[in-house]
Amino acid sequence: MMELVSNLWSIPLIVIIPLITAVIVNAIYDKEVIKYISIASALITLGISIISPYGYHWFTGHPAFDPNTFTFTFDPGIPAFRLSLEFVYGPIQQIMIVISSLILVFCVILATVGLTKRQGPYMATIFLLFASAAIIIMVNDLYHLWIAVEIGSLIVVGVVVASGTSISHKAALKYAFFSAISGAGLAVALALLLGITGFANVSDIIRIMNTVGISGMEKILYISFGFFILAWMYAGGLAPIHPLKSEVYGASYPHATAVLQAQSKLMLVAIGIIMLRIFGTLPFIKEVMIFLSVITMILGVVLALIQIDFRWIIAYLIISHSGLVTLGIALGTKDGIIGGVFQAVNDIIYMSVLLFCCEALYYFGGATSTKNSFGIARKSPWLCAAVLLGAFAAAGMPPFNGFQSEIILIQASLNSGLPEIAVIILMVSITTLIALLRAIYRIFLKPPEVEVLEAKIPKAINFGIWLFIILTIIIGVYPDIALRFIIPAVEGGFLP
Amino acid sequence: MTSIATMYDKLKKYLDNFIIGRGYTNIMTGYITGELQFLIFIIILASLFRIFSFPLAIIILVLTGAAAIYFAPTIINIEKENSNELNRVLYWFLIYFAIIIAITIWGG
Repeated sequence: MMELVSNLWSIPLIVIIPLITAVIVNAIYDKEVIKYISIASALITLGISIISPYGYHWFTGHPAFDPNTFTFTFDPGIPAFRLSLEFVYGPIQQIMIVISSLILVFCVILATVGLTKRQGPYMATIFLLFASAAIIIMVNDLYHLWIAVEIGSLIVVGVVVASGTSISHKAALKYAFFSAISGAGLAVALALLLGITGFANVSDIIRIMNTVGISGMEKILYISFGFFILAWMYAGGLAPIHPLKSEVYGASYPHATAVLQAQSKLMLVAIGIIMLRIFGTLPFIKEVMIFLSVITMILGVVLALIQIDFRWIIAYLIISHSGLVTLGIALGTKDGIIGGVFQAVNDIIYMSVLLFCCEALYYFGGATSTKNSFGIARKSPWLCAAVLLGAFAAAGMPPFNGFQSEIILIQASLNSGLPEIAVIILMVSITTLIALLRAIYRIFLKPPEVEVLEAKIPKAINFGIWLFIILTIIIGVYPDIALRFIIPAVEGGFLP
Repeated sequence: MTSIATMYDKLKKYLDNFIIGRGYTNIMTGYITGELQFLIFIIILASLFRIFSFPLAIIILVLTGAAAIYFAPTIINIEKENSNELNRVLYWFLIYFAIIIAITIWGG
C-alpha cells in the first residue's frame, strides 16, 4: 500500500547517494579506495530501494493547495493542486530502481575488475547515469523530467567517451548533438503545457484538463505531443535515432552498456506513461506511438541480422526490444501497460546476461567478431551455456522471463483488435533468436579458424552472469514476483 | 506478353542482386534472412492500416509490394539509410517530426 507521506526519507537518498559518490570518486581519481567506495555506495542504494516504503517527496516542503476548502495541506491523499516539484516512489518505481541498482552493483564491480587506470571519472559517470535514471522514473513534474532527460543525455555522452576509442568519441559527439534538439523539444513541450494549464506538475495538468477542459487547445496539445515524441525517440533510441543509439551501445564497454540500456528503458517507461496520461485521450496519439514502436522493433531486429560483431548485434536487439516496451505502453490498455513495464524489467535482465557474456569475451582477446570462428565453447563451455540461455530468454522462450512478458503483450495486442501486432511480436522473437544464434555459432560453436588466447574469466563476471540467468528463470517460472509490483500500480492508477 | 519464363527471369534477376562476390559467405545468410523478414514485416505493417480504412490498407499494401520490388534488394537500401551519418539522421528526424505533427493535427 502507498504510505501517504509527502516527505519520504528514501527518495532524496536514492538520488543524493549516487551524486555524492560521483563527486567523491571523481576527486579521488585513481586510487584503490575508489573500488570500495563505489561498491559500498551501489549496495547501499540497492538496500534503500528494497526497504523503502512507498510515498512522495515534495521538494522545498511546499504544501498542496486544496481548491475546495482554500487551505494548504501536506496530505498527499487529499486531491489538491500539488504545485511543488514532486517525486513519487511506488511499486513500479521500486521494481525498476531495484533492478537498475542491481545492475549498477555489477557494473561497478566489473569496472573495478576491468579498468586499471582513471577509475574515478569513469565511476562518476556511471553513478550520475544511475541518478538521472532514478530521477526520471520517480518524477511527477515536467521541470524535473526535462532536467533529468538533459542531464541523462549528457552523462550518456560521458560514459561513451570514457570507453576511450575513436569510435566511441565519434558516437558520443553525434549523440551530444542531438541532445540539444530533444532537450529543447521537451522544454518547448513543457512551455506549451504550462501555457495552457498553468501547471508543471503532471497530476495538476491532468486535473485541469479534466475539470476546465481543453476545448480549442487541441492543436497546441498536438504540437506539445510532437515535441514530447522527439524526446521519447531520443531518450530510448527509437527510430529514426536508432543508428546513433546503437552506436552508443556498441561503442561502450559492455558493462556500461548494461547500465545505459537500463537507463533507456526507464526513460521510455517514464516518458511513455507521462505522454499517455496527458495526451492519451486525444485521437491519433496511441496510433502514432504504436507505429513508432513497431517500426523500431522491425528496423532493430532486421539490422541486427546483418551485423558482423556480437556487440553490435546486441546493440540493435536492445533497440528492437525497446520497441516492445513502448508498444505495450502505446496500446494504452491495462494489459498493454503491464506487459510494457514487465517487458522493460525483463529486457534489462536478459540483455545484461548477454552483455556480461560479451564482456567475458574481452578476456579472450575481444573475440566478438562473427567474421571468424573462435571455438570459445571448447575453452569455456559454461560461458557458451550462459550465452545460449541468455539468447533463449531474449527470444521469449519458456521458462525464461522474456516469454512471460511477451505473452502478455501478445494477448494485449489481440484484445485491442490488433492481431497484426501480435504476429510482429512473434516474428521479432524468432528473428532475435536467429540473429543471436548466428553469432553464437560463429563465435562459440564452430571449430576455430582463429586461435584465441587462453583466458581466465574473473569470478565477478561469472557470478553476475549466472545470478541474472537465475533471475530470468525465477521470473519466468514465477512471474508474480515482478507482476505483484506492476499490476496494482497500473490498476490503481500510476500516480496520484 | 508476360509469361512464366519472364517472371522466372525477373525472380532470378532479383535473387542475383544479392550475390556479389561469394554468395555463400556467413554474412550473406544474415542479408537474405533480413531481406525476407523485412518484406514480411512491411506487408504486415501495411495491412495494419486497416484500422483507419480497408481501402487505404489495400492501396498501401499494393504500393508496398511495388516498392519492395522496385527497391530490391531492400536490405541494402535499409543498411544505407541506417547510416549513422549526422545529416542523414537529422533528415529522417525532421521527416518523422513533420509526419507526426501533420497526422495528429490533421487527424485530430
